[in-house]
Amino acid sequence: MPEFFDDLQKQARALLWPDQYFAWQTLLLLSLFSLLIAALLEAPEDGSFAISTLTTLSWIFFTCAVWWALSKNETEIKLPGADYSISAWVTGAVFCTFLFLSREEPHWRWAICTWPLISTTIKALPHFITWELEPHWPKKKDQPMLVMTLLINLILTSWIVFSFRVQDWVENYPSLLANDFDNSSFVTDFRVDSPDRQIETQGGRLLDNTADAIYKELNDQPWYQTERWLYTRQDRLEAISQDMVGAFSAPEEQVFWRMQVPDLKRLPDEGYLLTLRANWVGPVAGAQQMQLEKTCKILPIDKVRSVEVKPNEEPPVSTFTEVRCDEKSPEVQWSDLRQRVTGGE
Amino acid sequence: MDYQPILPLRMIAFQILFLLVALAVESSILRQRLRFGFKTSVQYTLAINLAAIVVGWTAFLVIEPLSPMEIKSQMISYILFDRLSLNNWSAQIGATICAIGLASFLVTFFVKLKGLELIMRADGIWKLEEEDSRASKRITRDERYARARQGKSDAQQALSEFMDAVIQANAASFSAISLLLLLRFLVTREAA
Repeated sequence: MPEFFDDLQKQARALLWPDQYFAWQTLLLLSLFSLLIAALLEAPEDGSFAISTLTTLSWIFFTCAVWWALSKNETEIKLPGADYSISAWVTGAVFCTFLFLSREEPHWRWAICTWPLISTTIKALPHFITWELEPHWPKKKDQPMLVMTLLINLILTSWIVFSFRVQDWVENYPSLLANDFDNSSFVTDFRVDSPDRQIETQGGRLLDNTADAIYKELNDQPWYQTERWLYTRQDRLEAISQDMVGAFSAPEEQVFWRMQVPDLKRLPDEGYLLTLRANWVGPVAGAQQMQLEKTCKILPIDKVRSVEVKPNEEPPVSTFTEVRCDEKSPEVQWSDLRQRVTGGE
Repeated sequence: MDYQPILPLRMIAFQILFLLVALAVESSILRQRLRFGFKTSVQYTLAINLAAIVVGWTAFLVIEPLSPMEIKSQMISYILFDRLSLNNWSAQIGATICAIGLASFLVTFFVKLKGLELIMRADGIWKLEEEDSRASKRITRDERYARARQGKSDAQQALSEFMDAVIQANAASFSAISLLLLLRFLVTREAA
């Protein structure tokens, strides 16, 4: 058993201890060393600067060690079926992790977007600078490979940036997600397609908030004021929906929502039925338009006024307003575009 | 907002397919017209087409955030749902699409012309202007005048042949890709 441990120790020593000082093992040991120092310095309160410096140094040494280990040994990772080393991309990944992810708030987007170009730079650097740090022009036979590498990596970067652009779209205009993306010739949709998947559009929230605002403005107001309000409802509702739209969680989406100023419907007995409708005028998948509806009943109720009257007289009664809106949040409806257009005329 | 699993994989597939089509069409035309070898013609065509793709992507990625809301919404509609909302400005859309097509043809032509010239210079098989400058030193003014009256010089002739070849290759690959797009449009419309 002791022989085994002796052997193991020898092997580990042979693997990790450099034969000469100028070797990748030296840098790896330096990286471990810095990491150790950083860990030690973490104990006292005031060592934050030293810690960050040493961790950074550790990352730099580690990146260099990976680079060196992959480029100067037999361990080069070849692209399957071609005599083309992709070691630079491994080093690039480590370097991007160091630059953008090893912070308190990792920048995933930056890390992924710059990975191909940083790797290209790492790949091209030895062709432009010698080991003695003298600049030189790449050899004629390497030039086509370098140009191709650069072009292909620029295209990869464009693809990555494009997919993040699509992410931005669905983040800024989340109601787009209510559509299906099957027709697209650009994107593939991997969202789990469960039937109970609830798509909450901001239009629903817009209607809820507008109904609340109407309730606040009209409830318990004298009926004559309410009738005046309803007469000028166009301006009032526009003002309200302006405010509501400004409070969206994705404020850019407001350009795609239109609050339709509703027609008033007289209820059979007394009062009015107000149908609030939010139309989505942005991009949709099919020939159907997305819209949401919420109805509010505005009813007159008689209330006894609390003024002092003579005992033999009826107390004066005045009419106040009561607003009753749908309790549940509105759901997305799809209506035919053609129908909607002709219906509007 | 968490990450939505929507990846542009179909775009990548189409890009590779169109690149292969352009490669097949253009390399055969360039090989015949400019007398390259098989391998060289494919290499050169690949390089200039990759350069054209890079220029196109850069243009799109720069223009998209700068464009006004109507155009942006059309872009989103086309990319995510494969349709343009034609209800309000169909005539302008047609004109815009034609203009974009023409502009992209001219830009790709220019990129491919300059790219091929650069590659050929780097490989040392570009002989057009050197001959021209040497010739212009030797000949006298009268001779040059006579040549100008006669028509093109040899170098000019070669240059125009070169440009002809590139524009023909570009037109052929554009036609092939447009044909594929048309075919796809017909197939998807039938399925719908």
